[in-house]
Amino acid sequence: MDLSDYGLSGFQDPGLDLRSASEVRSWYRRQWTGIAAALGFSQSLERQYVASSTVSVAGENQTGLSAFAAALAPSADEAQARVQSTVLASVLARGRQRGELWRTIDDVATLPNGACYPAAGGELHRAFFPDTAPGYFGDGWPGPAPRAESACGWETPLVLHLGTFPWIYSGRLEGPGPGHRWPLEPARLGLGVVASLLDPETNLRQDARQVAAICRTFASHTLALLRNLPTMPPAGTWSRTPPPRLRVGQVFVRDGQVLVHQSSLHLAGLDGPRGRLSVLAYNYCVGRFTAFFALRSAAIRALPALPPHVQQLAVSSPDPVLRHYAEQAMR
Amino acid sequence: MWRLLSILGVVGVAGGALLLGRRASASSTTDATNEAEADDVEPIDLPPLPTAADVPVEAVDMIDLEKNWGETPPDLRPLFALMEQVSNIVGSARVFAVIAYRESRFVAAAHNGNAQNEQDERDDSKTAYDNNKERNPPLRFGDQAAAFGSGGLFGALAPYFLWTGVPERGKKAPLLNAPPEIVFQPRAAAFGAVVYMQRILAHYRVDDIADIKVGWANPGLLGKGRGSKTYNDVRTRFLADAKALGIDLADPTIPAKLSAASWPGVSVVFEKLVGTLPAEFT
Repeated sequence: MDLSDYGLSGFQDPGLDLRSASEVRSWYRRQWTGIAAALGFSQSLERQYVASSTVSVAGENQTGLSAFAAALAPSADEAQARVQSTVLASVLARGRQRGELWRTIDDVATLPNGACYPAAGGELHRAFFPDTAPGYFGDGWPGPAPRAESACGWETPLVLHLGTFPWIYSGRLEGPGPGHRWPLEPARLGLGVVASLLDPETNLRQDARQVAAICRTFASHTLALLRNLPTMPPAGTWSRTPPPRLRVGQVFVRDGQVLVHQSSLHLAGLDGPRGRLSVLAYNYCVGRFTAFFALRSAAIRALPALPPHVQQLAVSSPDPVLRHYAEQAMR
Repeated sequence: MWRLLSILGVVGVAGGALLLGRRASASSTTDATNEAEADDVEPIDLPPLPTAADVPVEAVDMIDLEKNWGETPPDLRPLFALMEQVSNIVGSARVFAVIAYRESRFVAAAHNGNAQNEQDERDDSKTAYDNNKERNPPLRFGDQAAAFGSGGLFGALAPYFLWTGVPERGKKAPLLNAPPEIVFQPRAAAFGAVVYMQRILAHYRVDDIADIKVGWANPGLLGKGRGSKTYNDVRTRFLADAKALGIDLADPTIPAKLSAASWPGVSVVFEKLVGTLPAEFT
């Protein structure tokens, strides 16, 4: 699969073979280890791995999700959690239907409770942040306005970037992922989207053109931020020129990731044209884009071995690029 | 593994940026100041920050890295957990986190004393050096330490930091030949902090956890200064810090009074937290 068909370059296909149990286990565990490190549930994940003997894709994803849920504190605000969960359930169902789960855009007037929840004093609050200004994932989604007046002040659609959960808002990548502060149940639904995009069937249902467009926008706004950072050779490799000596707290690039020397990644950031960008968010988003396209390629390679309904959705996809490669794979 | 290379601009361009701000009081300094200061001494590379995988299995049940840490950065929690595990001071991991929150806001390169308006910090380190150099082994970088101020995750005053371990190890204390900038290395800062806490617990009257932070500010407050306004202010601030950070110090895994009775000794702690210094600094 050539990702230049989506206007993307610089990707290297890891060649994941979904028919190999050992490759599946190793690749999925790398994905979840990275997710857990970014979201702070490495210890839970390790405990799950000790207790788990799964070798299936679904099992690996379930193990990751269980570890995430185990590390989260129970919800303090039940009203918000309940509304967020019901709204998300609705948003996810529509996203799946449209093949646009990565970024969902919904008229709040059509969502449960109008995406409003009652706060302690009875006042209605928005259950999500109105994220419609230009940001790292796109140039803004100002409209259309809700078809009916919102009881909690919504004037824009609800836009969520669930493919990069917990960084779900295009304009709020400056610190910890906002979705990580959601109560347990909606947070589990959010990371469930990340997990589902690591499932071959859901991955093939997702319109890759949407993901590619977001990835291109992200790249165009982050390119200049990385240009002046020192680049270190990949760990364990030899370099003809000695690498630069780093000072504590210095941000650098290694192996496609932005790192910070002897300091917390959770505190480091880059000031860019669309606001401050957390280094952790940057790496995480890059990880999600690369995992999506790696699995997309793997799923196409393995298509003849996937169930007939999955083959069918690939060869009849509205995405001409997917159709083309799916037809080739099925010949 | 998939890599985004050219599309995300990962190219080998020389140059750099010190993007982590130092402690708020030093944030007005320019990068040029920091560059000049850092150029004085070749950077020291100690082992990287520990990860969750580095926390010994036997400590995992005791030190959960996911519960009751509040906003403590997840990638620093293993360091605090390792400090607790190595020192055998049960319950200390989260106390170290609260102290680091106050002293550096978790910025490893936090430095008080490098800005024009931080003369008081430089005065403190100079006083600390001048008043104690006669009764301690010589510091190879004594003058630099005297002019350094304080810094690192735990806000250590440079001369005291470099003399860490002298009461136990005398002229063999491990940091005597190191430059003060080593305090920016999280593992070295952790070593200094662990030894400091052990000394407070072992040699002063410490009634509860908040008293530890009082001793951190000034051990004298645990003696004649006990009950003074400063004593109470430090306690109040510490408890407010814990709350702001989101750590519950009444957690059942944190004893009401910490104990250093099972202290393994400075050498063991240094070896497990820091390892071996580069030859030129030993």
